[in-house]
Parts: sequence; structure tokens; C-alpha cells
Amino acid sequence: MSVGSTSSIDLDRVEAEIAIVGRALEPKRGGAGRGPLRAVDERAMKLASSDRELRAALFRLVDVTPACRSLDDLGRHLAAFLDEVPERPSSLRAAMRASHSKAGRVALGAATTAGVRHMAHRFIVGDSPADARSELTKMWRHGLAASLDLLGEATVTAVEADRYGDRCIEALDQLTATAREWSEHPALERDAIGPIPRANLSVKISALTPRLHPEAPEVGFADAAERLRPILRRARELEAHLHIDMEELDALETTLELVLGLLAEDEFAAGPSAGLVLQAYLCESPAQLDRILAWAGAGQRRHPLVVRLVKGAYWDREVAEADQHGWTAPVFTDKRECDRNFEVLTRRLLDARPDVRVAVGSHNLRSVAHAIAYNRAGGGDDRDLELQTLRGLGDELAAQLAAQGFRVRVYCPVGDLVAGMAYLVRRLLENTANESFLLAQSEGTPLEELLAPP
Amino acid sequence: MSADGIPPFANEPTLELRRAQDREALTAALARLDAGLPLEIPVLIGGDRGSADGIESTDPGDPNRLVARAGVGTEADVDAAVAVAAEAAREWGERTAAERAEVLGRAAALMRERRLGLAALAVRECAKPWGEADADVCEAIDFIEYYRRDALALEAGADLIQVQGERNRMRYAPRGVVGVISPWNFPLAIPTGMVAAGLAAGNAVVFKPAEQSPGCGGAIVDALHEAGVPRGALALVPGYGEAGAALVRHPGVHVIAFTGSAAVGQEVIATAAQTAPGQQHVKRVVAEMGGKNCVIVDADADLDDAVPGIVKSAFAYAGQKCSACSRVIAHEAVAEGLGKRLAGAVEVLSVGQAERFGTDVPPLIEREAQERVRRYGETAAGEGRVLARAQGPPGDGWFCDALVVTGLEPGSRVLTEEIFGPLVAVEAVPDLDAACAVVESLPFALTGGLFSRNPRAVEEVARRLPVGNLYINRATTGAMVGRQPFGGNRLSGVGSKAGGPGYLVQFAEPRVVSEDTMRHGLVVE
Repeated sequence: MSVGSTSSIDLDRVEAEIAIVGRALEPKRGGAGRGPLRAVDERAMKLASSDRELRAALFRLVDVTPACRSLDDLGRHLAAFLDEVPERPSSLRAAMRASHSKAGRVALGAATTAGVRHMAHRFIVGDSPADARSELTKMWRHGLAASLDLLGEATVTAVEADRYGDRCIEALDQLTATAREWSEHPALERDAIGPIPRANLSVKISALTPRLHPEAPEVGFADAAERLRPILRRARELEAHLHIDMEELDALETTLELVLGLLAEDEFAAGPSAGLVLQAYLCESPAQLDRILAWAGAGQRRHPLVVRLVKGAYWDREVAEADQHGWTAPVFTDKRECDRNFEVLTRRLLDARPDVRVAVGSHNLRSVAHAIAYNRAGGGDDRDLELQTLRGLGDELAAQLAAQGFRVRVYCPVGDLVAGMAYLVRRLLENTANESFLLAQSEGTPLEELLAPP
Repeated sequence: MSADGIPPFANEPTLELRRAQDREALTAALARLDAGLPLEIPVLIGGDRGSADGIESTDPGDPNRLVARAGVGTEADVDAAVAVAAEAAREWGERTAAERAEVLGRAAALMRERRLGLAALAVRECAKPWGEADADVCEAIDFIEYYRRDALALEAGADLIQVQGERNRMRYAPRGVVGVISPWNFPLAIPTGMVAAGLAAGNAVVFKPAEQSPGCGGAIVDALHEAGVPRGALALVPGYGEAGAALVRHPGVHVIAFTGSAAVGQEVIATAAQTAPGQQHVKRVVAEMGGKNCVIVDADADLDDAVPGIVKSAFAYAGQKCSACSRVIAHEAVAEGLGKRLAGAVEVLSVGQAERFGTDVPPLIEREAQERVRRYGETAAGEGRVLARAQGPPGDGWFCDALVVTGLEPGSRVLTEEIFGPLVAVEAVPDLDAACAVVESLPFALTGGLFSRNPRAVEEVARRLPVGNLYINRATTGAMVGRQPFGGNRLSGVGSKAGGPGYLVQFAEPRVVSEDTMRHGLVVE
């Protein structure tokens, strides 16, 4: 099978275009904008990126903050984490001294809470969909569409799964009502295929069932389907878009079966618009795309399936789990290989339109520029491609893209601090990792290098 | 590669059951196994096949299905087996560790080749769900691979202090005949571990598998014999308690490796301590016994992790693991929320046939177990409050409801005795100190768990709890060879750690040789 595409687009021309697009999107250096690392306490994150033990201490502190019963308790945790850092910078030595008295611990606890809340609010758009209204409206005015993601505790019981299902339906109602007030924004609401819903909700299958069994996808399928169908129905009634997120590989088979299975049911032939996620870090992602495209090509649905292409957010876990079981890692362990795969999948997806709609979710300037350039080289209009970013991390890129008329959708989690912690920690860890694109960018890696083919 | 050409130890990879082709392979293996049932497991002494009549092992999920027909080992069989073993031990013990390691390596390879069929057998004979059955096969292979490497190190001896004019050496000799008495709950891994340790250290072995799992026992012996372990050096004596007792009593046995209940274990130790007339050695007992394992949940625990961790610890394989959690001791700040979520998580468990992928709680091993665990359930419901119940399916299998209970008085039997079934009790305590005190008060000390995000709390609990294996922020089951050497303290065992450094040496006898190297006032070396 030919890797890449069957189209005759000249890849040299694409490379030339990537340079042009990349330059246009280059973030202004040293600006006072809300850059990816400026979004959180820059110093803390720089420190964390440079020192492994400190990084661990910081993230374990952030992680436990909402579970602490008092500021004193939080102060004690802080001191305990710092205990494990062998070489402490002077500011942290002062913190250790402060932790010896209750007043000192309370002060440390208060500072920590404030810091964590501050960080959380950069990444999380509000405590609830209602709470997020004004922010979403403001974003829309600035040319940014959104996909709402409801954060929550892990689902371990049927009650929790039901509650998440109910929250999804309420969120769809809320979102649709909010979006109805928005003024028209053609770039965000239509592509060559047709209209695109304003209201867009991302849901997680692991939250819809406590019965996910990697070795028995049919069990999780049956349980989650009962809760997913009503959500799909409501989305259809409201003409909203429902996007099913992809999580760990353990849940992949269940998730894929659910999306492809339920959408093929007669009652959903006329809607809603729905989508799924392809994770480019998975070595088997090309085969998954074969399956998705075969399905999309054979289907009779009114709305083409939206495929969101991402790198994937569970790399550490997949690698550790494989290591613990003696399995070959299911993900690319070479970053360049992963980036190359991302581009191959991008091209295949863009070539597969109009059977699918394509959303490229990345903060990697090269990956984004490549998608834009390839689309242009094939004669596509810019708005026949959707670009997605994460709230709090890709804000600067999103603003640049919106300013240039691209259709940008920002993934916006909502939820309280307790619920949001797992998400927050994952985002922070991801972006202080050595191979993080955002980190490289913030450290001043030259543009040519950032845009070089992987 | 080491100098001996054996690559460093690595755990055998488990199957990836999230992949359909791995699941299909297992299902096909079960169909092949079923077509050949029942298995015939004779008493096997020095290559002589004795009777395969008297014991019938059946499928716990469908007791009408006969899995294996096995002989009933008698005292006379044990006498014969020990006599043959004593003879064979000489030749086997004189081989170099490398020669024995090669034979054992072939046995591991055979088990690897047969892994699907072996897993299917554990599913059928002991109602191990697939994931657990596959892990049991892998652990069996791991034990062989681990001990055969360790035997090379043992042969090299220990380092001693050397001074001028003196040469000191410490080496390890085989002890002689090892009697292995094994349980049914890890029907492949545990017996393979004990048998392989005995053989790797140069002993001959007389092996009595549990009467519930003679088929699995036979499969282990087949692999070892086919690999080249001399028939005389490994006897199979299926049977009931009488055969085990005869083995423990026998004056020709040097080491007894036992895994089972605390009551039987203490009997084994007491009997083995008596020296028969003419017996020229003191028997060594390596015993792994019961547990009453607690998981502590601190106020700052992440319940998203704690709930699934406890469910796995308490209900996987229906709680029939010595490492299983049967008490949850939660900080009062989180106890109620934890109880509620744990209850909800247990209500969605699926109690069903082991062979069905997606089953969380399989049937118990036999009718007596079902009756015993049900009685504990009734006691718990009477004395306290049932928070959750996952019901077993109708049918003839030895199914038992999965239960979460709370509100028990501290002295309740449910809180102190080993239940070995799918029942977990939740209690609230005012602080971590009180939680540790509860664990310290128990006579058992096998595994323990702690969910906490405070490194100082982790340190404090690790320092205080007497348990052999403490697990932090994870399930208390699933110890891996070489990664979590496993074994309990107090009445849970004699403190040996299977699958870890120091285990094999129990099957060997240390001998020190000191030589004066001075001749005529000169050091001659």
C-alpha cells in the first residue's frame, strides 16, 4: 500500500508553503502575550523542566492540593515533597524553614493553593458549562470556536456514569443556548461540505461506563452504549456536534466500536454531526485509519465523520504499562518517527475528504503548517481544515491562526479544581517534558529548526 | 549475556488480552483442552506410572465436567518416592549448576511453548479468569528462569574474609530430598516455584499437588521430565492430606516447601521439628501461609486510584489469593465517600464463568469454600451492614456473591480470620496511627496496602507495618518474580521471599572450608 496518499500533490511545493505558513504563524518572541509557558508560573515551570526531582515534587504537590483538608495539611505535604529534593534552590530552602511552624505552613499552604488555582484557571475555562458562558462567547467574538470537555472524577460506579451522561446532556443544552446568542462567524460555521455546528462537546467513554475491560470490549460497549445513545439523540435534536475522545489504548477498541457502531445505527443516519480521534503516536494508527476510512466511505450518514488527529496524550502510561508487562511499546518511541507519522496521517485524512472532515489538533508549528500547506497545495480552501488547540497551552497559536482566518477550535475543559487536577497535572507534565515542542519554542529554538521536516 | 551464556533474567511477557488475536488463541486452546478431558494423572515414581484413580478434579464453574482423574498417593507411595529420590539426588546433585540450569531452561521453554494450553488448564481446573491464568503460567516460567540463574551464583559460593596464610571458602551443597506441598490457587506458579528451587539447588523433589489441581501438577512434572530432569529426581504423588502428612513425617526428607493455610502450615512445622529414630538431620521448612491483609486509605488518598486498587485486591480471583485484601481501614475524613464509591464499584462487578472474558469474580474452588464464604457473609450481614452485593449467576458452579460490609465490631471473626473469598470489610479510623495499630494487632503479616500522597506518611507506614509485602498506591496482589519477592512474616510464613534473593539458599546447605596454606613458615598459595 502506498504510504501517504494517492494524490499527485508535489511535496516539494508543500515544503515551500510550510516555510511561508510557519513564518506567518511564528509567535512574537518576548512579547507579553499569554505564551504557553507564560501561562503558568514561568519560573516554576522552567525550574521544573531543569530538575527531575523538583519537577516530581511540584507535580505531586499540585496533584494533592485539592485533597488536603486544611492549609496546614497542604503545608505539611509541601514540606514532605521538598524533603525529597536533594538540591533545593534558595527560595525553597526558605519554604522548608517556614514549614517548621504552623503559621509558616498555613502561609505556604495558602500560597500553594493560590498558585495551583491560578494555574488551573489558565487551563480550565470554568467550574461548569454555565460558568464558561461568557468566556466562550468572548472567544467566539475573537474567532475561536470551542469544544467543551467535562472534567470529573474517574467513573467507578454506575451512578457516576449516569451523572456524567446527565451532565453531557445538560452541557449540550447549555452550550446550544449560549451559542444561539452568538453573531454569525462564517469562517467558523461552514466549510465546502456544509454547515458546521457551533455547539461542540467532547465526551469520554471511560466516564460513561465503570465497566471498561480491555480484554472484553463488548462489556464496556454494551454498558456505555446505553448512556451514549441519549446523548447522541440530544445532540441530534439540538444540531450540536458530539466528539468522542480517545484515551488509553486499553479503551481504544471499545471506543472505536462504539463510535462506528452507534453512528451506523439507523436512528443516527441523519445526525448528529459526530467525530472521533486518531492518535498518531500509536504504531497501529495507520491501520486504524484504514478502518475508519473504510467505514466513512461506506456510510450513508448526512454528516461526514470528523476525525481529530492528535499526537496522543498518554505516551508515558503506554510505555510504562508495556514495560511492566514485557510488551513492545504500542507507541512510537522516536519523536521524529511519530512526527512523520502525524504528517502521513494528515495527508491521508485531507485526501479522504469529503468522506470525513479533518481537524488537526497540535501545538507543533511544523505539524500545523504542514496541514495548512498540504491543504492549500491540493487546492483546498483554508476553512476546509479545522485546527484545534488546548486551552491554556495553545492560546497564542490559536490567536495567530484565528487572526489569519483559519477555523480554530479550542479544547476547553470545565470542572472544579478537584475534578480538574488529573487533567491539569497531565498537561503540565506533558509540557515540561524534554521533547515538548512548546518548551523548545519558548527556549528560543530557531524557526528553521522548528519547521524542519521530521 | 553472562559468561554462562544465559541472558539476564526478565519477566515472561504476559499475553496482551486487549488484542483480539490473543483472546482467540486462548479460546481455541480451551476447546482443544476440553476435547481431551479428563486428564489422567497417575502417581509417578522413578518413571513407574501408578494408579490414576480416586481423585477427581472438576470444573468449579460446572462441577459436572471432569477435568482430571488422579491417583491417591499413599504412605507406601511416599516411602517409595523418597527412596527413589534419595538415590537420584546423588547423581542430580553432582551435576554442575550450569548443567542443571540448562535442563531447567528447557523446561521453561517447554512451558512457554505450551502456555496457551497451560492457561486453559488453569481456567478449567481452578476457574482462574484468563488474565490470571496467563499470569500464572508466566510466573511459573519466571520462577524457573530466576532460580536457575540463582543456582549459578549459589555454586560460586560466598565471599569470606581472607588473611595471610589461610584460605577460606564457603560453598553450598544440596540438602537431599525436598518435599513440595502446594495449593490450588496458583496451580502452576507456586508448585513450579517450589519444585524448581529444589531442583536448581541440586536436590531431588517429591511433589504433592493440591487435590483440587492435580491436572496442573501433572503438566508441570511433564514439562520438567521432558526437559531432562531424571524421572527419579522428581516424583509426582497426587493425593489428599494423608500423602502430605506422610511426606512431612518422612525421615528421608530434608526440606519441606509448603504453601497453604496457617493451620496446616503450623502442623507441618511442628511435625517436621520431630526427629525420627535414625534420622540424621533437622528438617528445614519453607512455609507460606495465610493472611488477613489490610489496605489503609489516608485522608489525602486519590480515591480514583484507591477504589479500583481495592476492588482488584479484594475481588480478583474471587479473593482466593493469600495476598488478597479483606479489610479496608480508611481515615474517617474519607471513609464514607470511599465506602460509597467502593460499594458502587462492586455492584457493577460481573460474577461469572472464568472462561468468559470480562468476568470479574469467578466461582470459588469447591463446594466447601462456597459454604464457608457464605457463612462469613451471613455473619457479616448479621453483625454489620452490607454496603454492596454483586450477585452470582444461577447454575451449578461454586459461585458466591461479592460483598462489601461495614459496621463490624473490632473482635468480629470477619475482621480477624482469613476468609479466602470475595468479601471485604470497611472500617473508619481517626488517623493513620490508629490504622497502623489495627494492622499491628493482627497475627498475620503477609501483604498490606496504603493509599496516600504524603511521602512522610508512606515512610511512617512502611516503618511500622510488619507485613512481608507492602504496596503503596496500587493493588496488593500480583507480585512479580524478581520485582516483588513475595512472602509473609508472623503467622503468615517463615519470612522467606519467593522469587527473590535468599530464597534458593534455603534449599542448600552451607559448608565452609578453611585451609592453612603455610608450609614450613612460608605462605604457599
